[in-house]
Amino acid sequence: MKKLVTPVLLALLIGSATWLSMTEEQYEWRIAPNLPLPGVPLDNPMSEVKVELGRHLFYDMRLSINNTTSCASCHVQALAFTDGKPRSVGATGELHPRGAMSLVNTAYASRLTWANSLLDHLEDQALTPMFGDNPVEMGMAGKEEQIEQLLHSDSLYADMLPKAFPADDDPYSVLNIIRSIASFVRTIVSFESPYDQFLRGDDQAIDDSAKRGMELFFSERLECFHCHGGFNFTDSTTHANANVDRVGYHNTGLYNTDFNGAYPPDNTGLFDMTGYRRDMGRFKAPTLRNIAVTAPYMHDGSVATLDEVISNYARGGRLLESGPHAGDGRRSPFKSEFIRGFELTDAERVDLLAFLESLTDPAVLSDPAFSNPYSD
Amino acid sequence: MIRRLFSLLLCTQVLVSCSDARAPLSIAFVPVFDGQILACGNAADTVQLTDLRFYVSDLQLVTADGELVDMPLEADTLWQQTDLAFLDFENGEGHCDNGTSNVNSFLRGYARKRDYVGLRFTVGVPFDRNHADPLLASAPLGEGAMHWHWRAGYKFLRAGIRTADDGFWLHLGSTGCKGTVQEISSCSSPNRVRVELDDFVPGKDVVEVDLAELVAQSQLEDGIATNCSSSPAESSCVSPFAALGLDHETGKASSSQQVFHKQVQY
Repeated sequence: MKKLVTPVLLALLIGSATWLSMTEEQYEWRIAPNLPLPGVPLDNPMSEVKVELGRHLFYDMRLSINNTTSCASCHVQALAFTDGKPRSVGATGELHPRGAMSLVNTAYASRLTWANSLLDHLEDQALTPMFGDNPVEMGMAGKEEQIEQLLHSDSLYADMLPKAFPADDDPYSVLNIIRSIASFVRTIVSFESPYDQFLRGDDQAIDDSAKRGMELFFSERLECFHCHGGFNFTDSTTHANANVDRVGYHNTGLYNTDFNGAYPPDNTGLFDMTGYRRDMGRFKAPTLRNIAVTAPYMHDGSVATLDEVISNYARGGRLLESGPHAGDGRRSPFKSEFIRGFELTDAERVDLLAFLESLTDPAVLSDPAFSNPYSD
Repeated sequence: MIRRLFSLLLCTQVLVSCSDARAPLSIAFVPVFDGQILACGNAADTVQLTDLRFYVSDLQLVTADGELVDMPLEADTLWQQTDLAFLDFENGEGHCDNGTSNVNSFLRGYARKRDYVGLRFTVGVPFDRNHADPLLASAPLGEGAMHWHWRAGYKFLRAGIRTADDGFWLHLGSTGCKGTVQEISSCSSPNRVRVELDDFVPGKDVVEVDLAELVAQSQLEDGIATNCSSSPAESSCVSPFAALGLDHETGKASSSQQVFHKQVQY
């Protein structure tokens, strides 16, 4: 059983006999004091060496079936750890039904991926891209021994694993690379956008257009903030001191292929997990941080630009006039109550886009702490 | 008590002489397609095996007078716990390129010497072990390829076949699970398959796994590969689920399964 603990509690536990012998050095988060810290699983405490090990693993293409693909292949730093494709492509060329989500501030996600209500730990999620075979992403199912050999033979891993997991008799395990990658991803945190600087008192950090866009974003007229609210601009947010499990899945009226709200069968959202008809087309609202650099949009990359995303919401659901998925999402019986449609002038649209662009944090897109160690 | 202990000791020494002694008992499985035995890499087959792996649990024998008797398995480091076995027919050859060279086609266990006329087992991993951390699990639950990470449980059954221009695969496991990974409270569609074979003499008879039952012939002739990954959204699951005796909507037993049966001896 995994429990989330705050670093403060962790520090207390470190003092106890149970933890004294097996503790790693405590990790120092580079997060402003007015912001909450991410939760960290009790059985995978943070440490500098583990995070650095995780960064190397994250960028290591030898963790794929044909040495072509690393985690970073679909999670590119310059694109806020997305890949710019509508739908991601695995090591063997297989097309994923959905697009790669941004990893920025994933440490604060109460649930992971687009619509998996079961996944709340990065340690569990990391297994799917590495070992999943439907679709093949990195394609390492059944190749656990090959991975363990790599961990022994690579001098850097051979050196770092015992340091990152000092209590383990045999630290060269799949479990430990999963824990290391999760720890690295947990550090990819962004609170340095112009909007954050504006919030901290720098009135010049965003221009007047973005300020007007902010008013629109947080208005009842546009309703954006109901799903994209809070410090991480998504209602599926948690943190170290959170005492409520906040999780939201929403049907945004993107599809309605059968006049009864159906989504394309390979992308039914939460319905695929629960089997409840009411969960058809319900997906997690992604964070809007760095949204300007993560095109194309929506779970399947079927909307090319932010401008089109706004048009779909303004219309109260997307209309697909032709093609295999034709239908009027506005008339979906499963659509969120917040997708009601709105009128927007051209000037207001420019303002709203300016606000969304002010959520881009250039620091996280280029921070060497998150960059490819093999191209240094 | 002492006498009982003594008799037990004696029995381990001279197994055959004691009426309640446990004797080793193996049960063999073989994959077929319409009666033809399938093996990975056998290029002559018109229907090629691409995958067949599954977990067997809750194993019982039926005595001549109708009593159900548990059949404990011999725990080992690869394939079996005392109440759970992993059968693996893919050898990494031919179209089974997603697999490994290790294969296992027998259940190895024990039974007291009695007349048995039937076999009962479940294709699936028991709930308590199905949702535990696969990276900490003992064999045979350490099989990475059998864990369904995003569904927070195991694939109970992986089966696949292909013809020259068509194919089908099935991944069967629990869906509609509630809670979060490693703290799953229940699953609305358990999708465990109960197999009840009568007129089956354990140790002598062989269990056939007939993959033809999973696909209507027509499905293999339309040139469009289909698959079922147990999702309630997949209409392609309806007929293979029915063949497994499962209701696709509820994931519960609805009829008797057709896929596992006694091999007819010619």
